Amino acid sequence: MSDLTNVNFDTMTTAQFEDYLPDLFASGDGKVSNDPRFAKFLAANPDCAALVSDLETIAEHAKSLFEPTEDPSDAVWSNIASKLKDEPQE
Amino acid sequence: MGQQGLLTMQTKPNPGLFKRNPPIAGEAEAIERAKNGDADAFSKLYSLHKRRVYTLCLRMLGNVSEAEDMTQEAFLHLFRKLGSFRGESAFSTWLHRLTVNLVLMHLRKKGLQLVSLEETINPSEDDAPKRDFGSRDPQLAGSVDRVTLERAVASLPPGYRMVFVLHDVEGFEHNEIATMLECSTGNSKSQLHKARLKLRELLRQPDQLPPLEGNKEVKQ
Repeated sequence: MSDLTNVNFDTMTTAQFEDYLPDLFASGDGKVSNDPRFAKFLAANPDCAALVSDLETIAEHAKSLFEPTEDPSDAVWSNIASKLKDEPQE
Repeated sequence: MGQQGLLTMQTKPNPGLFKRNPPIAGEAEAIERAKNGDADAFSKLYSLHKRRVYTLCLRMLGNVSEAEDMTQEAFLHLFRKLGSFRGESAFSTWLHRLTVNLVLMHLRKKGLQLVSLEETINPSEDDAPKRDFGSRDPQLAGSVDRVTLERAVASLPPGYRMVFVLHDVEGFEHNEIATMLECSTGNSKSQLHKARLKLRELLRQPDQLPPLEGNKEVKQ
């Protein structure tokens, strides 16, 4: 992954920014748009700002999928109950 | 890449939802009783956790039949191993980790090598997200709701979907995912980023997303 130690975030290219993104999202709170180090770069590169905004939105809304919506069919419990009769507990 | 983001999603997530595995009333007592062989208590544990376990299996496998089989295996495994649960983590965290490991074992048995994500379950060129800096993309289409996002996730290539579900939906850390998938943390970060880029592409054209398997869309 990228070594961000000596990166000048104001002068990096968009390609460099793209390479750094996986690490940038994985560090801190994952909110690149709130990081003052990138404010100047994102202001100068609206496409990058839109990308960051979209990826943050996707990550944020993925959390809404945490709550389950699906039930297994009744056959699943029937099979489990049937097999438990012969199952020893460790 | 368009300058208008996906800011108009219709379903705003409740921040409280992502507190992984809050305590469930009656769970601790059911665990202790089930450890002592109480069948009703184990039935209660099944009722409390079947949806989360099944939904996790379904998202990881993308197939109703396999997801039901793995849900069954997960609870049978739980029954055998329940005595080893010491309460050092939340019960549901422990159960979900157990489930993820069973699903991964199942996928390995099917021949899906997860040891090196980059080399083995990296998607084809067609499936990989496009590198599109420097170009003007069409404006992102309208709004995206939970069902559309679910359909887009289901459309991800397996390697991307696995890491996305584990990290962004289930809330596992990259080091935990790396351990489960037997890959590096860098690999996990990279796969997650590619998954999000691919989702962005998919969400731009929601009309082209295939319907979900099963009856999810009816239930939403």
